[in-house]
Amino acid sequence: MPREHTWRYLGMAAAFALVGLLILWRAFYIQGSAEAADFLLQSEYYSRLLKTIYPPRGEIYDRNGNLLAGNRTVYEIGVELSSIQDPGAIAFALSNMVGTDYNSVLQKINTFNQNGSVYGILDDYVLPEKIDLLRAYNVNLPPEEEGSYHCSNDPALIALICRPHLARSYPERDLASNVLGFVTQDSNGNFGVEQKYQDLLAGIPEEIWVPTDPNRVQDLPDIPGGASLILTIDREIQAMVEDVLDQAMETTGAESATGIVMDPHTGEILAMSSTPHLDLNDYQQYVKLYDDNNPYNRATSEIYEPGSIFKVVTMAGAIDLGLLTPETVFNDTGIFYYGGIAIRNWNGQAWGEQTMLGCLQHSLNVCLASVGEKLGADNFYHYVQAFGFGYPTGVDLFNEAAGQLRLPGDPPQLACTGEDQDNCREIYWTDSDLATNTFGQGLSVTPMQMVIAVSAFINDGRMVIPHVVKGVIQNGMQYNIPPQFGGTPISAETAHTMTQMLSDSLEFESSLALVPGYRLAGKTGTAQIPDPNTGVYDPNQTNTSFVGWGPVDDPKFIVFVWLERPETSIWASETAAPVFADIVDRLVVLMNIPPDQQRQQVAEH
Amino acid sequence: MLKRSKEFIQAYKEAPWRRQMQMIGLVATGVIVLALIAGVYLNITARSATTGRLVQQLQSDRAEMEQSIEDLQTQLAFILSVEQMQKRSSDLGFAPVSPAAIMYLAVAEYQGRALGADLAPRAGSEFGAAPTLPAAYTDSLFDWLAALFADLGGY
Repeated sequence: MPREHTWRYLGMAAAFALVGLLILWRAFYIQGSAEAADFLLQSEYYSRLLKTIYPPRGEIYDRNGNLLAGNRTVYEIGVELSSIQDPGAIAFALSNMVGTDYNSVLQKINTFNQNGSVYGILDDYVLPEKIDLLRAYNVNLPPEEEGSYHCSNDPALIALICRPHLARSYPERDLASNVLGFVTQDSNGNFGVEQKYQDLLAGIPEEIWVPTDPNRVQDLPDIPGGASLILTIDREIQAMVEDVLDQAMETTGAESATGIVMDPHTGEILAMSSTPHLDLNDYQQYVKLYDDNNPYNRATSEIYEPGSIFKVVTMAGAIDLGLLTPETVFNDTGIFYYGGIAIRNWNGQAWGEQTMLGCLQHSLNVCLASVGEKLGADNFYHYVQAFGFGYPTGVDLFNEAAGQLRLPGDPPQLACTGEDQDNCREIYWTDSDLATNTFGQGLSVTPMQMVIAVSAFINDGRMVIPHVVKGVIQNGMQYNIPPQFGGTPISAETAHTMTQMLSDSLEFESSLALVPGYRLAGKTGTAQIPDPNTGVYDPNQTNTSFVGWGPVDDPKFIVFVWLERPETSIWASETAAPVFADIVDRLVVLMNIPPDQQRQQVAEH
Repeated sequence: MLKRSKEFIQAYKEAPWRRQMQMIGLVATGVIVLALIAGVYLNITARSATTGRLVQQLQSDRAEMEQSIEDLQTQLAFILSVEQMQKRSSDLGFAPVSPAAIMYLAVAEYQGRALGADLAPRAGSEFGAAPTLPAAYTDSLFDWLAALFADLGGY
């Protein structure tokens, strides 16, 4: 290498070295500059993405694993503002294929543009069938790449983004709607178990940072989904009860029908129905179907005067105190004066000498008012409260009512008639309340309370606590809920006596509630309804109900029926009792309960 | 004397071209080693990035599949709903049975229809959850070497 060229090489090397040093100097300068913290923050920001993971809402199953509430894929339709070619084409396609209002789409796009948005939502909760229509809008063009969220490959619609997500869906539509409740688009549960167990079902959304650098990829945390619930409801029994009650409404002309079927030993609700039913996939109809006078679930939220069905409580109290026996004789003169009022029987007639069994069998108001007098107010209301009236039963459903019970010494209650709030008066407990309360007028209960009170007759005097959730599945494990018992209002001996009396009274009466082959026990209840405008009882408007259970020697079910204002007859024995029999007739098949005779033969062998 | 010693050194001195060759060889070796290291590094990094992207894609696929499973379960439940099943059974000529038409037979030790079957293992019998992403996807080369040496050191 000639010496005269050496300086050139040295010069180039020096220049390169200088550039390198300058780069290094600049790097160190930036590291130490005031903006260094900002640069670091920006690099952190772009190195990862904040992603919110919403766990899928837990499913709801019936007791046999049939899905009652699940999740379906629906779509959010959004628009990328920068890719819009023709807003009119987008509005036209959405109005034709999805049913979104044409003008509303155009207006939204304009608003997004004015706000300088990059992306905006045009519609949500769109069913897959409609998205399929949109995707097939222009089939001659090559298909979109796999995993693309573009709704269509049509260049005019390329700005539309169809992003799938899950939404609540109810495969059984209106079945058990009063028990399930529903979930609105804000993901909140309303009524029933959906609201009662909202926190458990919804799970907890979690925000995580996902690194954009593939070299720093991490395992996504396993965010547990919402817990799933297994209900005590039996889908087949529920469908049957709803079917029978719907038929009963048609045949009797009742305004509403309510039914409960419960396992008397565990408190598990096998079926619970209340009209009207709501198609849970179209829950927007709620506002048309329900109001203050039509609660979502009458079985737990509506109170009514039970009428004669309540006589079982009065009679149980008197027997439990040893004041009388089923054979005690009462001379019914057809009228009984107490507390300044006259009590008469349902037919206004005198029934002469009657045993206590006869009093229940013929449902004599005069006799029961006399029993109430024997009990006295203190004892009577002690038993009423011991049976749980005046308190919620604790059933795990949203918005349970406690009933209305006026007790001696209670502060006055304000009673208003009609919609005129000026037409109110203060009501105190008086002796006449004791007389009317003994046969279920002047107090209000929920159907659920009546069922729980009767469960004491089956469980040696102990009441069960009702529940509709049988188990919870969380993190892949199932947690079953054991049966729980409430108070013990009466002795086992009284419970057996009452069962015998209520079974005999049905048979001696040749009640329409009887089902051939099965020995049942139960009681009818016919209660006049007070006119809301005048406060006076209307003899032609009644609530008819029936509560019964069977088979008497080994009870498997309690069935409660309530018909509001039946038109064909005002009497429970002619309206509610046959409905009870219809339910039991089909229930014994669904529950595989052989007739008493066959069951006893098997037991003997 | 001095001249002779210079001649002696000159005679035994390594030829300049040989020293240049040695220098070139040394530099070339260094460059090759550096190139090898860079190549291995690039290869590993590229594979790691590809695998990372694959993992991200699989995570996305898993989320989509979980969503799809939920959707299909619900669609299946629609098909098997009471209303649909009653219609199908009715179309097939079946009708609800009345209690009078049923003949019950006593079967020894038969416990009856099992109601309320468990849908998941009962609490108390749980198994440990398996990791969803193996260590091979998250370990760096150095982690792997460290683990390897640790394993070898154990023997």
